[in-house]
Amino acid sequence: MTAKRSLPKLEGMRVVITSLIAVIIIALVSFLPAFAQERGTITITMTGVSEISITLDKTEWALGNVTPNTEYKTSPPVEWCTLTVQGNCKVNTYIEGEDATWIANPSEYRWTLSNDGSNGEHIYGLWFRISRDAMRGPRGDGYVPINKTQSEFWPYAGGSPLAPNATKKFGLALLTPTRFYSGRQMQTRIIISAVAA
Amino acid sequence: MIGYIKSAGLLAVLLFVSFPTFSLAQSVNFSVFPTEVSISNLATGEAAQFQLTIHNKELATHNFTLTTFQPSEAQRRQDMGEFPDANWISFSPTKIQVPTQSQANVTVTLAVPREKKWADKNWEIWLGVAPESIDLVGVKFYVRLLVSTKPEGRGEFMIRLFIAIAITIVLLSYGVYYFTHKVKPK
Repeated sequence: MTAKRSLPKLEGMRVVITSLIAVIIIALVSFLPAFAQERGTITITMTGVSEISITLDKTEWALGNVTPNTEYKTSPPVEWCTLTVQGNCKVNTYIEGEDATWIANPSEYRWTLSNDGSNGEHIYGLWFRISRDAMRGPRGDGYVPINKTQSEFWPYAGGSPLAPNATKKFGLALLTPTRFYSGRQMQTRIIISAVAA
Repeated sequence: MIGYIKSAGLLAVLLFVSFPTFSLAQSVNFSVFPTEVSISNLATGEAAQFQLTIHNKELATHNFTLTTFQPSEAQRRQDMGEFPDANWISFSPTKIQVPTQSQANVTVTLAVPREKKWADKNWEIWLGVAPESIDLVGVKFYVRLLVSTKPEGRGEFMIRLFIAIAITIVLLSYGVYYFTHKVKPK
């Protein structure tokens, strides 16, 4: 008698549960694409076939022995090295220097690179000058200090970036410290960097 | 007099230092592409991957290192802010050897933490590629990476809410079924 009464009840529950599950599945199927769209596909855009490249025709400066508080210039002074844009995109270029270190023991002794091209005890200055740019720099003679933070090489002051195949000739100057320890071979490094304009 | 001799001796000691003398050499001839990568619609908590290609045009194998650089406001594209944390970017590998006149790829992964404050932002950071060298003057190329995160949408919340409701309904249904058909002890 009990079994007969619960049979329709069981059937009813099955219908209810099946319906609920069906509703959930239908809702999921219809909502998920919209959710997926809202979650969004990440768009990664890479700039076409552009490649960035610059070259320098000189990377070494044979200074030899130096004396304190003396300024040395590359030879020729302002057309020592040629920077050429080899890539196929316009570039902005920057320059930065670093402390000069003793080759034998870099952590033991260094010359600190000054921020303004000046010198001091164990402090040295670095400058660059771009050919045909005689008025630039704090002294108005075309020489611009190189410091440890990246600064404009070319263009500067709102000028035009360097186009593919463009060249810039430049020279370097080094002002030795007013006092330093002799007999130690020092080494420094200047980085010229480029980024798409 | 003794002081004078001491000063002269000191001067002699401090007089000369030598900078290394090398033969003149050209910088490493290489290129990097693409020059700019733009990632948009990146949700917080998600990661994006892309590849940089280094082309070594030299007749010798060279090692290249990859770094990040935070450009100043003047160097960034318009409306792009400072990238919050360079540690969100990783290179695989961070140093790569590229054989003569060939190309190699570096995988860059960008992962933005899942935090509300990073949603709906525009940032720029530069990815630097430089050859290992001891030359006085070296070159380094930067690839601009522009990142835009998506606004914090309702999508994430709605999905969670929907799943929670679905699970609740199923559990309730089975609960009701269980209790209405529980066999009573005789």
